[in-house]
Amino acid sequence: MGCKTLTALLAGLTLAGCTTTPVQPWERGRLARWDMQWDSDPLQTAMDEHIYFSKEGSTGRVGTAGGGCGCN
Amino acid sequence: MQLWRFGVLLALVAARAHAIEPGSVAPEFNLARLGAGQPIALSDLRGKIVLIDFWASWCGPCRESMPLYDKLRAEFAPNGFEVVAINLDEVQTDAEAFLARHPVSYPVGLDPTGDTAKTFGLVGMPSSYLVDQVGIVRARHTGFKAKHIDELRHQILGLLGAAHGL
Repeated sequence: MGCKTLTALLAGLTLAGCTTTPVQPWERGRLARWDMQWDSDPLQTAMDEHIYFSKEGSTGRVGTAGGGCGCN
Repeated sequence: MQLWRFGVLLALVAARAHAIEPGSVAPEFNLARLGAGQPIALSDLRGKIVLIDFWASWCGPCRESMPLYDKLRAEFAPNGFEVVAINLDEVQTDAEAFLARHPVSYPVGLDPTGDTAKTFGLVGMPSSYLVDQVGIVRARHTGFKAKHIDELRHQILGLLGAAHGL
């Protein structure tokens, strides 16, 4: 087997990574922890967002396209 | 050229445990019991209808399901019904903390490595299997909804009726 083919083969097998050994349903305990959620503290996030858009003069930094109209 | 891809795919498929479906023989397990007492083995419960419930402290629906299973057990235990909960927490203290808040009277086995779960081929959490008096799986429920209790009651009554030749 050529050097390039071998590299491609090894890269394909290793880069597959998590897709070859998926997380089993009973192994999801660590993923269920509050600090593993995308947004672990919604209240704090809301406060941070408010401060951010007030200082920046922009609205909807997260989720929507916004501009600096100063109407917040 | 593409043979190695096929080989990898075949290996992945072959490595999957055969999921236990209604009609299969329930696999034997022998697990340490939470709290004092002898290990729990499925073969010890032959002759009883057994509900095997795979749960974990991080499983939200289990907060609802486990007290309901406890009630079901109280209702049918005199007729030969037992519930065996198999805990899949990696840390035992998490399970103990859960049971301190939601105590149950049925035996709890410990499977921190998930080997029994793999043997049964769980596809979701929680999962429950109703096993009849001779060790055949009669029902499998993945996830928990309150209506599962009614279905289980109906199935248990059916199995008890069949045992008495009704």
